[in-house]
Parts: sequence; structure tokens; C-alpha cells
Amino acid sequence: MIRLYDYVLSASCYKIRLMAALLCVKLEHEAVDFHPGRAHKSAAFAQLNPAGTLPVLVDGDLILTESTAMLVYLAQLSGRDWLGPCDPKSAAQVQHWLAFSGRLAASLGMARLHDMLLYEGDIDAWRAQGHAALRELEAALSERRFAGGVWLVGDAPSIADIACFPNVALSQDGGVSLDAYPSVRLWTRAIRALDRFVEMPGIHRLHELRPAPEVA
Amino acid sequence: MIAPEVMNEWYPVAMAAQICAGQRRVTQLLGQPITVHVQDGVIVVTGQAGPLHVTEAFGHVWACPGTPAHPLFPIPEALETGRRLVDVGVVRVKCSPLRAVENFLDIAHFPFVHTDVLGAEPHTEVNRYEVQIREDSDEVWATKVTFYQPQAAKSAEGGIVTQYMYRVPAPTAAVLYKTCPARPDAWDVIGIFVQPLSEELCDVWPWMALYDDATPQAELIAFQQMIFLQDRSILENQIPRLLPLDPGMEIPTQADLTSIAYRRWLKKRGLTYGAQMVAA
Amino acid sequence: MTQRWTATGLSQDLPKAVAMAGHWQGHDLAVWRSASGRLQAWNDRCPHRGMRLSHGFVRGETLACIYHGWVYGADGGCKHIPAHPALTPPATIRVAAFACVEQDGVIWVAPAETVGAPVALRGLQPLRSISLTCDVVAVRLAEPALSGDDVLRGLVQIGGQACEVCLLVQHGASGLTLHALCAVGADRIAASRWLEDLRRRAERKGAA
Repeated sequence: MIRLYDYVLSASCYKIRLMAALLCVKLEHEAVDFHPGRAHKSAAFAQLNPAGTLPVLVDGDLILTESTAMLVYLAQLSGRDWLGPCDPKSAAQVQHWLAFSGRLAASLGMARLHDMLLYEGDIDAWRAQGHAALRELEAALSERRFAGGVWLVGDAPSIADIACFPNVALSQDGGVSLDAYPSVRLWTRAIRALDRFVEMPGIHRLHELRPAPEVA
Repeated sequence: MIAPEVMNEWYPVAMAAQICAGQRRVTQLLGQPITVHVQDGVIVVTGQAGPLHVTEAFGHVWACPGTPAHPLFPIPEALETGRRLVDVGVVRVKCSPLRAVENFLDIAHFPFVHTDVLGAEPHTEVNRYEVQIREDSDEVWATKVTFYQPQAAKSAEGGIVTQYMYRVPAPTAAVLYKTCPARPDAWDVIGIFVQPLSEELCDVWPWMALYDDATPQAELIAFQQMIFLQDRSILENQIPRLLPLDPGMEIPTQADLTSIAYRRWLKKRGLTYGAQMVAA
Repeated sequence: MTQRWTATGLSQDLPKAVAMAGHWQGHDLAVWRSASGRLQAWNDRCPHRGMRLSHGFVRGETLACIYHGWVYGADGGCKHIPAHPALTPPATIRVAAFACVEQDGVIWVAPAETVGAPVALRGLQPLRSISLTCDVVAVRLAEPALSGDDVLRGLVQIGGQACEVCLLVQHGASGLTLHALCAVGADRIAASRWLEDLRRRAERKGAA
């Protein structure tokens, strides 16, 4: 069984939980006391991941410490439907968004850790970089919509969407509103409406997907 | 000027274990800068005008910026043998400290905010429960609270009707007692200790005293953080940010009896830091 | 009276059964479209506990608050309180409604009693809404072909061709939102890139 070293409030860990749920891959979860215990910085954890970051995914002798690599691994294992189209242009675009997701984590993700868990740093710079990234995402998704598309690459959701989704959907946790990004909002809704989608704290259930219960 | 009634209360300002481990916490209390650290083997809290009254309880450091009107409230269950005491860690929320407490006292939001964990449609009904302000301790209590929950605790399997009691022993602290899945004869105890940084910003310290020998510590912490972080996006989007004590500003129902009593109690005692008296 | 109407979004960005945040001159609004397509703009505050209704969810012809699930019907009246399923909510529990119309692919809002219609924008198609951190003066400086205050119009060069554009100005706390339209038949991808470029130039002017 694939084991995920996991923290419930981590956007990167959620990426993997979400991908696994969408792919119907069952994971064994090992909760790590990231906050307040800082167990990811302990000597014991360093044996697993010297960088002291979460998530960590272990499958047999394979140990992955980068969340985008984990997305690729899970998608490869599960019939390749989520890897995106394999023509050269699309494959490169998928790689673009996987790398871009790192910028989201370094901006919106850090703003969130600052506002929520008291991480120290330049909050104004993190938010400004977050807005800059959201502007790029909004422009790209708007162009996709003009061409009749919904997803970042191709006609179906892919690891590109899943890589970028968590830090965007959680941006308000770090004081960055999505009000100014309508195409981004509609794209996050499309992901939240996927079959087998799972939430994390900060992303509410789309209650509208189920009918109102009968009033007795 | 902050009212003496507010200044003379106790407020949580740090997790004791972190301070004892040598951390120095530079923070704020009621809008004023304070520092929490160990000096000559004891925990001290220093403000601009000098040291504050300090006490340590339930895993946290508590400070009183004025002259304490009374000792810090007790949680007798914290002393019971066999309970696991869990410090959940701080979470910052951009809201009134009073709104954070009031949300903790509310059950009607479970199906919509803690969906499939603490509540789920169609089980949305809040049955009548009892609320009183206890004369002897001057605390708000809600008893005989029941609610259907799909997964009430980390150790719970499947849905159960959970029983609750709620208690407000201090303006920015609340304690709940709920059905303990492992021990039907006892209550699990969960506290929320709120540090008012300002009237519209707070640091929240959830804390637990549970009968649960099986669940790893990291999972207990993760469960409680999950629950509280589901509330955070609600708390940061209530308008106005201050808690309205004017009865005309918000419309409660019978399900909100605890909240109504809490607001009355705050008003009667002049504990209006983080509150709005008249509709804007 | 037409100046009371403010553009708060584009129709294409509010599909059926979705709610979003809108604004009218500093008032926060919940703008939502029912399952049948009916558009409404309400005060963005649930009367129960003050939660923003723009975070709520649409079921059928109703909008429900995300906090406690209170359900509001087409007239803004509370129809159902989940904590008390058998209760008929008193008629006094009501969300204030603003006037809200959809015209030329633009969502316009105004105070409830507003009469008259928003400015007509014939021959134009909706493009995008974008936010800027500068003021209208900087936008006109960046693109002298544009004129106007609340409605910026002009003939600009997009992809080497002259194209009519119209930017509907919405003032916010931290800058501007421009709801952009361009000539019917224009290449919207090229127009979107022009708009991005305009924003960069205007914000540089605004910062100078």
C-alpha cells in the first residue's frame, strides 16, 4: 500500500489526497505533527526526508518528496488519463503548470502560513507575488474559455489542474481574495464539482450539488 | 480606554510547553505589545508598563493585564487520571475574539461547515436545550444539547447522536463536554482559548482532555485543527467583524440560546472588547 | 438616473446556480443566478449571523447561507431554517435586494428604487473583467484613444487592426475593476492580451 506522510492543513499534502481520491487510489495516511509539534523537522523525520518537508510518499523502495512528482506517479499508475494529452505542446504546457504551482506555493501558500500559523516573513511581498501569479492564471484560463476550454491543458482535467488548485482555492486564508479573478473562480468550481472530489479545511462542500432534503 | 472589567480578566497568551522549551513569544494582548518568555526559571509576561499577572493552566500561559478580579477558572477534568491532554497549537483568525467563542458554542452550523464530520443534511434540527447563567460561578452553561453526527470524534465510527454541554467561564474561553465514544460514562473535554490581539484579530488555542489511548497524538491534533480551520473561513467573513450586542442587528432563533446568553452575559459584565454596542 | 447603475460583472462569469460577490458604490452585494437563470443582487449579509451570502449556495430558485443553511427565496425572504425544519420563518427575516439587470452581457446593479436602464452598448461583446491598482486617469494616459469617466470608449489597435472597445469602470477600495467589451467579431484572445498590456502600462503610469 502507498503511504502518505500527511498534514491536514498542508496545501501540498492535500494535492496528493485529492489526486488519490479522484483516481480511486487508496493511501495509508501517517499524520505528522507539523504544527505545533514541528515533527517534520525532527531527526527521525530527516531519515525519511532530509529536506524536512511534507508530503512524503512511500511505495516500497520509492520515496518521493516533491508533490508534483507524486502527482505524476499516481497518474502513471492509474491509466495515464490524468497526465494530459501527450502531444509535444500539451506535454510542455503540463510541465509549465507543474512548475507554476511552485510559484503559487511560494506566494499564496506562504501568505496563508503567515496569516494562519504565524509564519514570519514579508506578507506584503507574498501577497503581491500571489496576485501576480493569479493574474497570469486568470489570463491563461480566460484564453482557454474563449477557445471553449475549461481546464488548463486539453479537454479533461489533468495533474496540471490538481497541482495548481489547492493554493489558489485556499488563497483567501492568506488574505488574497479571488473576487478579481472570475475565470479562476469558475475553474475552481469545476474542480470542486468533479466526481469523488474531496475537500480540505478552508474549501467548503458545494452543497448545491445535492438536492435540498425533503422538509418533513 | 479599555474598561477595567476587560483588563481584570485572564487571557491565554502562549502554549506553556513552547515557552518552557525556551521559545520567546512576542505578541499582543488587547492591542498592546507583550512578550512571553522564561526568566530565572519562571514564565513571565511583560508589557509596556512592566510585568503582567501570570498563571499557567491547561497547557497554556494566561495573563491578566489589570488586577485580577478572580482566579483563573478551573477545569476539574484536566486533573483526572487517564485523560490525555492535547495542546492543538495556535491558529490566527481575522475576527473578533468574541465571534470565535460564539462560533464554538454553535451547533446549527455543523451540517454546512463540518459536513459529514460533525453534521450532515438532512439531520439539521437543533432540539431544545437548556441554558443558564450559573449564579455561583458566574458562567454561561448550556446543557442537554444533542446533535446527530456522522463522525463525532477521531475515535468514533459511524454516526451517533452526540450529547453536549457547553460552558463559558471567561469572556474569551469556552469549554465543551461531549459524548466520549470510548467511554460512555465520561465526557470528552475540548476547550477553545482565545487570545484577543485586538478587537478584530485573535490567536485561537484549541485544547483537549480526552479518554483515548489508541489514537496517535498527531491524528488527534489533525482532527481538531481540521474542525477549527473549517470555521476559520466563516469567522473571517462575518459582517460586522465586531460581535453585535444590539439585539436588533442579528436575528437569533431557539437554536441560538447559548449565543443569546453569552451576548447578554458579556453586556451585563461590561466585557465589550471585540463587541459592537449599537447597530452601525 | 442611468449613472446610478454600476457594472459589477459580466454575465458569462455568473453561470446558473452560482453566487458571487458584487459591489455598488461601497455596498457589498451577493449577486446570484438561480437554476432557472434568474439574476438577483442582495445585501451581502445573512440577517442571522452576518455571514456573507456571496459564499452561499444556490439550490433551485433559492440562495442559502453557507454558515447555517438559512434559505432565502426570490423575494429575499427567509423560506427555511434547517435548525428548525418545521418552523415557517417570520416574514420579517429578509435580505435587502438591489435592482439588478443584465444587458449586453453585463450585470448592472443599482439601489432598489432605481428607474431607467443602464447605458446601452450595441455592437459590443463581453470580453473580461480585470482589476487594476491605478485610477482612471492612468488608464487614459496609457491609452489616449480612450475617453470617458465611468464608461471608457475608443477605437484602439488590437493585433494590427482598429477595434472598438468599451471599459465599464467600477471603483473599489483598492483600485479599479474594468468590465471590458470589444467589437462583435473581434478576436477575443488578442483583445484579452491587449487588455493585459493596457493594465501593465496604466499601472506603470499610476505608480509614476
